[in-house]
Amino acid sequence: MDEQRVVQVHLENISKSFVSRKTIFEAVNHVTIDVYKNEFLVLLGPGQCGKTVLLNMVSGLETPTDGKVEFLNSDSTDVGFVFQKTAVFPWKTVMENVELPLELKGVPKEERRKRAQYLIELVGLKGFENALPKQLSGGMKQRVGIARAYCNNPQVLLMDEPFGALDAQTRYQMEEEILRIWEQEKRTVIFVTNNIEEAVYLADRIIVLSKCPATVKEVYDISLPRPRDYVDPEFLRIREAIEANTDLAL
Amino acid sequence: MKKNRSQARDIMLSVISILLLVAVWFLVSGSRPDFFPTPMATVERFIRLIEKPIMGVSVFGHVLASLRRVMLALIASIILGIGIGLVMGWNKKVRAAINPILMALRPIPPIAWIPLIILMFGVDEFPKVLLVFIGSFFPIVMNTMSGVALVDDMYLKVGKIYKAKTWQMLRHVVFPAAMPTILAGIKIAISSGWMVVVAAEMLSSRSGLGFLINRGRDSYDVALIMVAMILIGVVGALLSAVFTLIERKMCGWMSKE
Ligand SMILES: Nc1ncnc2c1ncn2[C@@H]1O[C@H](COP(=O)(O)OP(=O)(O)OP(=O)(O)O)[C@@H](O)[C@H]1O
Ligand SMILES: [Mg+2]
Repeated sequence: MDEQRVVQVHLENISKSFVSRKTIFEAVNHVTIDVYKNEFLVLLGPGQCGKTVLLNMVSGLETPTDGKVEFLNSDSTDVGFVFQKTAVFPWKTVMENVELPLELKGVPKEERRKRAQYLIELVGLKGFENALPKQLSGGMKQRVGIARAYCNNPQVLLMDEPFGALDAQTRYQMEEEILRIWEQEKRTVIFVTNNIEEAVYLADRIIVLSKCPATVKEVYDISLPRPRDYVDPEFLRIREAIEANTDLAL
Repeated sequence: MKKNRSQARDIMLSVISILLLVAVWFLVSGSRPDFFPTPMATVERFIRLIEKPIMGVSVFGHVLASLRRVMLALIASIILGIGIGLVMGWNKKVRAAINPILMALRPIPPIAWIPLIILMFGVDEFPKVLLVFIGSFFPIVMNTMSGVALVDDMYLKVGKIYKAKTWQMLRHVVFPAAMPTILAGIKIAISSGWMVVVAAEMLSSRSGLGFLINRGRDSYDVALIMVAMILIGVVGALLSAVFTLIERKMCGWMSKE
């Protein structure tokens, strides 16, 4: 697998600083990352270290002050985004939320409904097509967010601490679910978290970021077979190795 | 079950308090019925009003005349208020340009406009509708503006990620997100418009509830004044109840918290 890795997104020495009044605040500092096609990449970093800013630059929401983001081997720069807080629209039903990216592109109703229906079933929300978000639990809302991110069929999925606000049990369940969904619909995933256990459970590769401004600190390849077990000795060994090496004081 | 019971209790309490109010009215009016008519006399006056129109217009015609003025003005202030508020909330430059004007005009009560408007437009239908418009426009424009300006950044990000064009952003994100605030503004506008129309009709008019009050004053018909006042209260309450239903229908997606 290793020898035929194809680069999908290339971050070339990107930095981002914000200027306010007379102070310059550096959020991301000289980050170079190659993201490989269909890998599950986890960016692990402490709170407020610039993770969201980094993802925003990949998505094109923000432009780097320095360096560049390149999409390779793909004719589109479309990304799917799963947000930190559930950014599911409360005024739209599950179906309307999921089909939105295609609706914005002007895809005819029948076609986009078909795609949305497939994705709703993929994320396990069959039967809730016409439900409003207020009727859904936190975990279900995040499922809607995941289905929406898949909708316009992007090559790259960006996930910004999607399970950060969930209770522990739901979180474990969703970690399992996201892997099941990703196995079924392989995409390049960049998943941000500040939770080491979650990172080791999910990742093909973990990139540890430093405190603000974010820089690349360590890279770990995680070759444990899936499904992984949180209490497996090898799992714990990797987890402790990362813990010992990083400062994730939250 | 529980809900039904507490609902029944609430209705009972409302009935009791209305009965109490009528009882107090009885007591107070007993001493000088010519000066302050009893509830019975007021009801009699109401029935007589149904049978005998004033100025060739039945009592319901007068209610409708007032309602019509309010509706015309509301349509105008909803269209203009939402339109201008949307642009102001969306575009900081437009807001900076227009906000000072609104801030200065808003504190001027509709009543203060009356002389100017009469001098400019006379005492026809239009000036009355214009007055109601002045009374109802500001809450709508202000609420729309702040509703639009305060849309959660997260929602806008979703639109941007999926490359929404400006009109799509407004239609799918901004407008629905601001809808509860906009509707709250319209609700204020309805009640303030209903108050202003009565004032406008008391100046000069041949129809409407404000006109009935004037007529009562001129012919020393206090019962007629009472009838008109009660109608103003009841119709105003109905208007706001109907609008609350519309509001609930349109914003049913909001969670209870
Ligand atoms: N538009 C902006 N202007 C100024 N400063 C900003 C802006 N966006 C982010 N920042 C700052 O950059 C820093 C990093 O923010 P970011 O949201 O990327 O952190 P994070 O790692 O995602 O944090 P969290 O774990 O809380 O999600 C923060 O201190 C934040 O205040
Ligand atoms: Mg963040």
